[in-house]
Amino acid sequence: MAVAWHNVRAVARRELRIFRQRPIYLLGSVVTVLFCTVFYLTFFKDGLPHDLPIGVVDFDNSSFSRNFSQQLDATQLGKVVKYNSFKAANEDMQSGKITSVCVIPSGMYADVSANRRPTFTFYVNGLYFVGGALSYKDILMMINMTNGAVQREVLRAKGMNEATIMNHIQPVQVDVHQIGNQYTNYGYYLTNILLPAILEMIIIVVLIYSLGAELKYGTSKHLLHTSGNSMLTALLGKLLVYTILFSAIGLILVMLLYDWIHFPINGSIWNMFVAILLLVLASEGVAILIIGLLPIPRLALSIGALYSVLGFSMSGFTLPIEVMPPYIQGLAVAFPIRHYFLFYTQEVIFGAGFAGWWQEAIHLLLFLFLPLVVMHRLKKVYILQNFPKD
Amino acid sequence: MEKKTYAGIWLKDFFGIFMNELHLIFSDWGVMIIFFLAGLLYPLLYNLMYLNGVMSDTPVAVVDNADCMESRRYVREVDATRECAVAYHCLNMPEAEKLMQEGKVHGIFYFPSDFGEKINRIETATVSVYTDMSSFLYYKNALIAANMVMLHEVNQIQVEKYTAMGFSGQEASQIVQAIPYEENNPYNRAFSYSIFLISAILFVIVQQTMFYGMSMLVGTAREQRRSFASLPDQLEGLGVGRVVLGRGMAYWLIYMAIALYIAMIVPAIFGIPQRGQYWEIFILVFVFVTDCVMFCSAWSSVITRRESVFLLFLFISPICLFLTGCSWPTFAFPKFWKLFSYLFPTTFGCQAFINMSTAGGDIMSAQVQLIAMTLQTIIYYAISCIAIFIENWIIKHKEMLLEARNKIAAKAGIDLDEDRRIIAGKSD
Repeated sequence: MAVAWHNVRAVARRELRIFRQRPIYLLGSVVTVLFCTVFYLTFFKDGLPHDLPIGVVDFDNSSFSRNFSQQLDATQLGKVVKYNSFKAANEDMQSGKITSVCVIPSGMYADVSANRRPTFTFYVNGLYFVGGALSYKDILMMINMTNGAVQREVLRAKGMNEATIMNHIQPVQVDVHQIGNQYTNYGYYLTNILLPAILEMIIIVVLIYSLGAELKYGTSKHLLHTSGNSMLTALLGKLLVYTILFSAIGLILVMLLYDWIHFPINGSIWNMFVAILLLVLASEGVAILIIGLLPIPRLALSIGALYSVLGFSMSGFTLPIEVMPPYIQGLAVAFPIRHYFLFYTQEVIFGAGFAGWWQEAIHLLLFLFLPLVVMHRLKKVYILQNFPKD
Repeated sequence: MEKKTYAGIWLKDFFGIFMNELHLIFSDWGVMIIFFLAGLLYPLLYNLMYLNGVMSDTPVAVVDNADCMESRRYVREVDATRECAVAYHCLNMPEAEKLMQEGKVHGIFYFPSDFGEKINRIETATVSVYTDMSSFLYYKNALIAANMVMLHEVNQIQVEKYTAMGFSGQEASQIVQAIPYEENNPYNRAFSYSIFLISAILFVIVQQTMFYGMSMLVGTAREQRRSFASLPDQLEGLGVGRVVLGRGMAYWLIYMAIALYIAMIVPAIFGIPQRGQYWEIFILVFVFVTDCVMFCSAWSSVITRRESVFLLFLFISPICLFLTGCSWPTFAFPKFWKLFSYLFPTTFGCQAFINMSTAGGDIMSAQVQLIAMTLQTIIYYAISCIAIFIENWIIKHKEMLLEARNKIAAKAGIDLDEDRRIIAGKSD
């Protein structure tokens, strides 16, 4: 098929004119991505939360228990809120005002001194996920350290020297290395995938709208006329404009993440440029498929919206795909963002390079065949305009 | 015929607007898809995706250079945890790293060659754990398994040592763990991903589908040169309230059904904890849906075309989910986003639902949220009325505005007629 390049240019010029008349295209792409970027980068700017409110019900009120509360308060994660009754503390935990409740039994100090082993109880609200999990970790660490302190006192009394005592208290230690996110930064973890997922969503919706608007306002014949009656040329001209727009947004996003604000990256930023360009192209393929199969703008947009929102879960960066039921796992393949995520894992987390991600690049390129399936049909619809218009 | 009272006319207008809106909703396929396909199926789909919220037996690789009794016991215990399963024993780190990069394992346990020696010499031995950070759940599982086994090992080794030093078993355990502890995670025992996430997602679906549907109808009305704000003719600019309430009633009716299904039936199907009292949950749904209706009718008034809502506001759904505080805790919100979160009914609705239904608090545990939602309802009602008032003013002063627009275009040198030909298509 010969492509008439001057017609492609004509279509592209026509598209720019539409941009000027209808600000929604730029509002819907540039401004929304900008807003999301600002939102996610500032929302998670702390990386990990700190000073989580932890309720302490102190029935003991001894120097020992007060010391425990102070130590807990001094940790970076925790901030102690004192309660007089368990009921009040429990109500506040239930309503999400505090993340957890520690109960120090009465006479704890006396019991510890007399070797009677008092039981320390704590409750965590696991419904507020990150807060619950972190305060759980914090309390667990603190109670084990308290146990270590008691042990140290006993061993000191036996006349052991400090170095030997430390080795007795901690015969085994765990040394954790977080590959790809050594700061355990929750913001890095989420933003890395959330922003490309937003981009995918916007590409799908904006492109469906752009192609659908030709039908809706009955301008599809004018479009075909401009393109010299070739659907391929028409699509190329339109895609030229959108690909430049979305690629620019994508490249800026990657630059922003890995260069300007220095998200950790083990591989090369150039490969991530490739990844985001492939994501842009693949998402465009999906958009054309949807409007081609369902050439009714309102239905196509509703379906496109429902589909792209699912992408956030189906990329598998929060709950891994292998945990989902098998019949859902298969569906994940149909989302470009899933392949982008796998690409990202190889490049950003492991720095594996081409050998690691070439398969994902092919998967993303396969989405480019989708428009071919519907191109003929879309052309027919563009000529006949025989579907409901809105 | 007797003269109609004010209340009589009010009710008649209200009912007319209400019936008209219902008619519009049910004769629009796009809206029906959003309300009924998305509203009814999305909760099911999300539940299916997050059906197994607890990730068990994350595969890990072991590189054991020590190959001693202690390291083998450690590995066995890691394998026995719910969190991790030992999938591979590797000879060296590069081999294990390759497995991790290929995604066959998501963690590596490395025992240096002096692991056993150090324990026997009463020095601190180190086990190194490498975790795949592509998902935090991998990290969490490897970390929990490593630490739980470590604590258990520490206790075991200490008891052995102290016994060897001549303490009796009772004494040894008194020294090792002077304060035994008991942990409780009453609402979400295994930190299940589905229980916390689904509890929050459900109400976000209610708000967002209603918003998209209502905005589509407002946009359609504007496109067809009708207005969503048409007032009863005989009143000449009065009667804003009955338009807002009449239209709202139509959505309210549909969404009470959808929200009750989402809040009560969906959790029952998928075994999400339902610890609330029926009537209290009903009151919550009532307040939340009313709030959503007013929220949507206020915000949808900025939509000028049918499809623009998806282009402009689709990205807000994941943001709403984060603003509920179900994942990143509200205590850690930056000040500005904290204020921003007060714009959305979901911020309060989701928290109230989590507190009352999933955690089983009584209605007092959601007191703050219920009050906040009531305030939101009132404010958004006022905004909706103002929006309708402005809309009517614009309709009446159309000529004047059009003239102003043409003047600006002429100044900027834009050929509006040519643009219109391309956009609105009266060509060829």
